[in-house]
Amino acid sequence: MKRLAKGAAGLCALLAIAAAPPKPGAAPPPPPYAGVYQPQGVDEIGFWREADEDERALANAPEVIRDEALNAYVRGVLCSTVGKDRCAATRIYLLRTPVFNASMTPNGTMRVFSGLLLRVRNEAELGAILGHEFGHFELRHSLAKFKARRTGSDLLSWAAVFASMSPGYQTRSNFNDLQWSVYGNLYRYDRNTEREADLLGLGYLNAGTLRPQAAASVWRNVMAEGEASSRARGLSKPRFDQLAFTASHPPSAERALTLAALADPGGEARDDGAARYAMALAPWLPMFLDDQIKLNDFGASDFLIAELAKNGWTAPLWLARGELYRARGNPRDLVIAAEFYTNATTADPELADAYRGLGLSLLKTRRPSEGRVALRRYLILKPDAKDAGMIAMLAPADPREP
Amino acid sequence: MSTRPIRTAALSLAAAALLAVPVAANGYREKGKVVTIAGSTLSVAPPRDWNLLSIRPGKKAETWTLDGERLNEITWYAGIAPDEPLIRETSRKHKPLPRLKQSTLIAEIPELLEATYRTERSVADFELTSAKPDPFLGQPGIRFTYAYVDNDHLPRRGEARAALIGGRLYLATFDAPRQYFFDRSLADFRALTDAATLS
Repeated sequence: MKRLAKGAAGLCALLAIAAAPPKPGAAPPPPPYAGVYQPQGVDEIGFWREADEDERALANAPEVIRDEALNAYVRGVLCSTVGKDRCAATRIYLLRTPVFNASMTPNGTMRVFSGLLLRVRNEAELGAILGHEFGHFELRHSLAKFKARRTGSDLLSWAAVFASMSPGYQTRSNFNDLQWSVYGNLYRYDRNTEREADLLGLGYLNAGTLRPQAAASVWRNVMAEGEASSRARGLSKPRFDQLAFTASHPPSAERALTLAALADPGGEARDDGAARYAMALAPWLPMFLDDQIKLNDFGASDFLIAELAKNGWTAPLWLARGELYRARGNPRDLVIAAEFYTNATTADPELADAYRGLGLSLLKTRRPSEGRVALRRYLILKPDAKDAGMIAMLAPADPREP
Repeated sequence: MSTRPIRTAALSLAAAALLAVPVAANGYREKGKVVTIAGSTLSVAPPRDWNLLSIRPGKKAETWTLDGERLNEITWYAGIAPDEPLIRETSRKHKPLPRLKQSTLIAEIPELLEATYRTERSVADFELTSAKPDPFLGQPGIRFTYAYVDNDHLPRRGEARAALIGGRLYLATFDAPRQYFFDRSLADFRALTDAATLS
């Protein structure tokens, strides 16, 4: 009863703030942070215990990026978005996984995927996503989701047992119908909580030091990337429900508009930290890009490289673009790839991998002698390369060369 | 709303449960007996007993194992033709796999395998650890090794041998957990691939 009264008082406070926003239409500032919370009730205690167990496994997981500087930087962005008192309780884990995703569990574990770091362009956009996830955490949405999912998945798991034992096609299609209706319920439920998290997330941004308008541009970029990916695959429209993050965070023009409206117009002139972000990410960019282009998603990767190149083409970006085109491997792609690699070697004459790609592309476009020269240059620049033996096979030393 | 479709669905599920049939059994590859691989011209007389999994990763591929495919897995890719992926695609539209091309060089085969693993298993941490020329099936080929963290979060190592013969790709891979299992069965993989011949 006491908790209920406290909750009602909090709600009233929230409504009172909502009733008097700083600027018409903008999201209200977040309520004072309630501080350390302990799980209550059997569901929540069990859910926290599971989250603790997951975190124990996560702490030893090989895909966690443990670099101190990058971790400190991402934490700094979270802190400048949600405030020092809120971010102190959060443990951030950066995961080397090339998908656009971030999540937060009820015990305060935040997972940030490398695919997200590759896609956002400045601190404000990163802050918008992290703040949104923190909003889910603060409003304890995952508990409600867990309750809904538990009921739904009980039904699903029994149905799956029966369907897997059955030989007929009809049964399987019945099972699929059932599955879609249960999942449909889950996502519909999620979309309501999305709105609440968006409101709170924008509240943090409005009260912080970063530009709140960035929240809308993240979604616009996600949609543009999805469309680019579908176009390259010859599909009529993108399937956002098949991406990890967008399945439960549906992107839409309406959502981008709502977020733009919630942003405090007074924050428009604030810094978005693009230069700081680019500097912090620079050492990681080649690796994250490489993870992305090897996913065989030409449209999305080409879109991402073009986005990153808006601030100027660099040697790693030309190299990535060359690798992408060489991997697709149509004859026209190989000619273009050779051009991109050449641009990379012009920008950085010491970039060994660019000579490797250039050599392979030239060999495949019937320019073998130039190709072998490029491959030998690769071996000179990187004599201890892991594939040195194999590349040397394609480019035997030429006695006429100096 | 009528409850009839729901009742029909429930009844057919229950009926299906009663009619359940056991799944097809896995195969056995006996020591010294010559077998062809995936209906191709590639054949081998295994130097020791192996198990063949009934679930095949693709039309032209076969999986052999000693203790289960997560512990030691040999995959044969027998005669992959240009414009074919190495393994069956889960969704050709939404998750297409990289394909062998007419122009693919033997030095690009490790990249093809890497991109297939990354796309199909959604792994990010994949590293080529060595690649050198080495004959395979009596033809010029390569032998390469790699290390990756699989989607079950277990670090694995792999060794593979490949050759492009008449425009078709012949590839054999060995994947096992980095700890203990990889070293234990590596010699078996090498002996098995040495015994393979192309007729």
